[in-house]
Amino acid sequence: MAKLSREDILKLARLARLDLSDDEITEYSSELSEILQYVELLQSVDVDGLEPTNQVTGLTNVTRADEVRDYGYAPGDLLKNLPDQEDGQIKVKRMVG
Amino acid sequence: MIDPKVRGQYTATIGIECHVQLKTKTKLFSAVGNDAREAPPNTLVNHIDFGLPGALPVLNKEAVHLACKAAFALGTVPERFSKFDRKHYFYPDLPMGYQITQFDEPIMKGGFINILVDGEERLIRIHHTHMEADAGKSVHPTGKDYSLVDLNRAGTPLLEIVSEPDMHSAKEAKAYARELNLRMRYADVSDANLFYGNMRFDVNVSVSKTDELGTRTETKNLNSFKSVEKTVDYEIIRQIEQLEKGEPIVQETRGWDDAKQRTFSQRTKENADDYRYMPDPDIPPLVLEDNYITSVKAEMPELPDDYRQKFSQIGVDKAVIEDIIATPETAKLVSRVYESAGADHARRIAFWMMQPASDEDTEAEAQTASDDALVKLSELVAANKLSSTAAKEVLTELLKGATDPEKVAADKNLLQVSDEGAINDIVTQVLAENAKAAEDVKNGEMKAIGFLVGQVMKNSQGKANPAMATELIKKQLGL
Repeated sequence: MAKLSREDILKLARLARLDLSDDEITEYSSELSEILQYVELLQSVDVDGLEPTNQVTGLTNVTRADEVRDYGYAPGDLLKNLPDQEDGQIKVKRMVG
Repeated sequence: MIDPKVRGQYTATIGIECHVQLKTKTKLFSAVGNDAREAPPNTLVNHIDFGLPGALPVLNKEAVHLACKAAFALGTVPERFSKFDRKHYFYPDLPMGYQITQFDEPIMKGGFINILVDGEERLIRIHHTHMEADAGKSVHPTGKDYSLVDLNRAGTPLLEIVSEPDMHSAKEAKAYARELNLRMRYADVSDANLFYGNMRFDVNVSVSKTDELGTRTETKNLNSFKSVEKTVDYEIIRQIEQLEKGEPIVQETRGWDDAKQRTFSQRTKENADDYRYMPDPDIPPLVLEDNYITSVKAEMPELPDDYRQKFSQIGVDKAVIEDIIATPETAKLVSRVYESAGADHARRIAFWMMQPASDEDTEAEAQTASDDALVKLSELVAANKLSSTAAKEVLTELLKGATDPEKVAADKNLLQVSDEGAINDIVTQVLAENAKAAEDVKNGEMKAIGFLVGQVMKNSQGKANPAMATELIKKQLGL
C-alpha cells in the first residue's frame, strides 16, 4: 500500500470538516498510511462464501411503542451545554454564503 | 428559444426521489413528539436527537407499521428482512455525524405507480423505498456571519421513495408526484401536506441524443407539484442549450428559485462512497413475520385506483373522478352515498362536489355536508322539484352548514313549479309574446323550442320544470 498522498489527506480533511496545518498533513499522511497498512492485513483473509456480519448481538426487532416518553429532563437542559445559542436555536458557523 | 427540431433530437430521462414524512406521534428513534409545525425551536428534542455520546436510538414500531402500509400502497410488499445503516457526513444540522437510513436492505423493493398523461396510461416503476431519519432545520439570518439550527425536525421518520428513471416529460413527472401524494394520503401513512413539507421531491434530469443516458443533475427539495414540473422543463431546455453550445453537463446538485423561475447550481455532490455507509450497530435488523405482513395487508383502506374503478363503473366522468379523488374525504363520501343510496345519487353528488378547476397546489379545504343532506338534495332533483342550477345554490348552503335542503330551497324560493296549470298559463303568455318563434316551431324548426322554453323559465324566475314546459308548449302548438 502506497503512502496516502497530500491530496488524499486534504480530501479526508474536507469530508471531516477539519482545517489542517502543513505539519499536520505530513504527520497524518504517514500515520494514516500505517493504520491502513495494519487494516490491510484483513485483506489476506479468505472470506469466500461467508455472509457479512452486520450485527453481533443476534437481536432482531428491538422496537418501542409510538408514545412520548418522559426522559426526566426538559429539552431546555440540553441547550445548556451549547457553546452558543440565540432564541433557543443553536448558533453555528455560517453554512451558506 | 430552442429550435423544436433540435429539441426533438433529444430524449429526456427523469427519476424522482420523494421524501414522505410518516404520521407517527414520535420520532423514528427517539420518543419525543413529532409535530414540529408550531413548536418553538429545540423543544421537541432529546439526547438522541442531539447525538450525545451513549444515547441509544430505539426504532419506533408505528413507523415500521406505516412503512408496511406504504409498501402495499406502492404496489409491492414489505421485505421480510431489512436493516439500518449509517450514512456519514458532517453538517451542523446532523449532530450525530451520520444519518440513520437503510442502504442495501431497505424495507421495500420494487413497486410501481400508474399515471395518466394526455389520455395515455404509463407505468412508472419504483426502484426501492427505505426508511430514514430527517435532519434538523437551519436558517441563515441575512447580514450575519452565523447560521441557526433547530433540531425539532431531526429524527422525524421519513420514507424515501426512489423511482426508476422511467419518466420522460415534465407532465409525467408532475403526474407521478401527484399520484404518489394521493397514494400516501389514501393509505393514511402521511399527512402528505406539501405546505408543511411533509412531502419533498428531488428530481434527477438528463438529456441524450442516443440510447445512452446523459449526465444528470439533481434538483433538490421541491415542495410542490408545480415546481417539479417547472424544474423538469427548465432543466431539459438548459441542458440541451448547453450541449448544443458544445459544453458538457456537470453532475451537480441544483436548487429551484421560485422567484426567478429557474434552477441554480448548489454544492458539488460528494461521491457516494464518501458517505462511508456501514451497518448501524445500535439498531438490530428488522425481521417481519408473514402473519404480521398479512395483517397489515388486511387493514389496507381503499386506494385511489379502487375509487377510480368504482366511480367509473357507475358512469362518473373521468375528469370528475380525478377531481373528487384529489380530496379523499370527498371520494369516501361519494362512495358511501353509492353504497347507501345507489348509483344515480352518487353520480349526481360526485358532479356537485367537483372543485372549481385550479392549478394551485394548495389542497382544497375538505368540504363538509352530511351524506343525508346531500342525498335529500339529489332526491329533490330526481323528483324534478329542483333544477340542477338551483341545486348548486342549495349545495353552497349545505356546505356552509345548512342541513335541510328542502327548507333551503323553499326559503330561497327555488323549488320548481310542477303545477301544470300555472306553467300552462305562462306558456300561453310566452307563445302570444313570441308568435314568430311559435310559428317556426309549428313549421318543424324544433331548434326554436329551446328559445321558448328559455322564455318560460325566465317568466317563472327559473322555477318552471323545463321538461314540463317543453311538453306544454308542444301541446299548445298542437304538435
